[in-house]
Amino acid sequence: MAKRRGEVAASYAVDANSGVGEAAFSRGPARLLTADGDRHDGRQLHECRLNFLKTGAVSSAAGSAYAEIGQTKVIVSVFGPRESHKAEAFSGIGRLNCNVQYASFATSVRGKANQGAEEKEFPVLLHKALEGAVMLHTFPKTTVDIFALILQSGGGDLPAVISCASMALADAGIAMYDLVSAVSTGYVGKEVLLDTTLEEEKCSDGEMMVTFMASRNEITQLKITGQWPDATMREALSVSLDACAKLANVMRECLKEELAGVDEDE
Amino acid sequence: MSSIEVFSTPGEVLGSLAVYAPGPGTYAWGGNVVSSVVGLQRVVPPSPDAPDQRPIIEVSREKEQGAVPGPGAQVTAKIRKVQPRQAIADILCVGTRAVKEKFRGLVRQQDVRATEIDKVDMHLSFRPGDIIRAEVLSLGDARAYFLSTAKNELGVVSATSDAGAQMVPISWQEMQCPVTFQKEFRKVAKVV
Repeated sequence: MAKRRGEVAASYAVDANSGVGEAAFSRGPARLLTADGDRHDGRQLHECRLNFLKTGAVSSAAGSAYAEIGQTKVIVSVFGPRESHKAEAFSGIGRLNCNVQYASFATSVRGKANQGAEEKEFPVLLHKALEGAVMLHTFPKTTVDIFALILQSGGGDLPAVISCASMALADAGIAMYDLVSAVSTGYVGKEVLLDTTLEEEKCSDGEMMVTFMASRNEITQLKITGQWPDATMREALSVSLDACAKLANVMRECLKEELAGVDEDE
Repeated sequence: MSSIEVFSTPGEVLGSLAVYAPGPGTYAWGGNVVSSVVGLQRVVPPSPDAPDQRPIIEVSREKEQGAVPGPGAQVTAKIRKVQPRQAIADILCVGTRAVKEKFRGLVRQQDVRATEIDKVDMHLSFRPGDIIRAEVLSLGDARAYFLSTAKNELGVVSATSDAGAQMVPISWQEMQCPVTFQKEFRKVAKVV
């Protein structure tokens, strides 16, 4: 895991010299793609960013996880199951209480993300993405609280939060049907870009976010915004599902590694 | 450990339902036993008298999901408030597992003892600070779990007297302070 992190830093250092700043201010795909057809950070069109995942990042939480996907850094802590808030009505199954926040230093302009509509939309989308995967009947009447903090916004923030949250839930020992992995895809010019960065998101004509339970082959949430030609949308979906399945494998690997590590300590 | 340790994560297929039965930490889906938690995978032989003779697959680890009270569970609770018709308690343990954060429980007047339930005086059954063993009757309402102490082995297991000493049970409805010899009424549990 540690060496992956090193790789991330290395690959981004190279890009700094190849005019990322320039690309960020230009519109359209011409500047986002190099002459060879690669993306500005050296990736292929259908290539994911490098990631670093870790569980047990917050010691006071029942379960937690930290994820770095490219430049995007998020931390998710899970508390509970604990008693539901008094004001809430009785519910025979468990509840998920989701909370997503941007750190004030997460964006290039300090505190800017905190005022956006995303702040209100993200918890709802996170809840929708996870509620189908968590066995809510195993903790009737009680609530599991999920607190996500975006430390650095580097594009694909919500997918990173969703993947990270499902790892944190697994770390908390909460029963789930499957891990949920998520990835966002952008439609820029005539190309489908997988796992978009912040620059690419700004330039894209359409965005697609898929949250997927890989081993059950079920999509828990699909969010499409902007303009998408039909054929391209299908292509983007199949590419996204493939990426989600691969991310899920990395997540499994990480959870198992953590477990094996604990045993060695004892 | 000498045996090979196999870890599994939620969603991983562990075996066919034709061969194995799903145990704790797993569920049945699409003809397979699938893991639902992260943990160590184990195959347990079924008990000899069980009707289902398939070996059971379990997935478990030390760090489990926090304990949650459910109907039928035995809980340990601390009385917080006694009212004429009910006593409010904080649930501290479910079975043998301590809960991380307290759950609110409620012992209603009719659930204190099994006989003469209409003559129960709550103030002669519990006092604030008493530790009780109780059974969860139901999930209750939005506020609290409904608890019952209507069994011989349920009721007050530990109480302190006005003098501050640990009281000794002397009958199923009386406890005595070892310092002042004062008797106080409680719904005493017969601890076996």
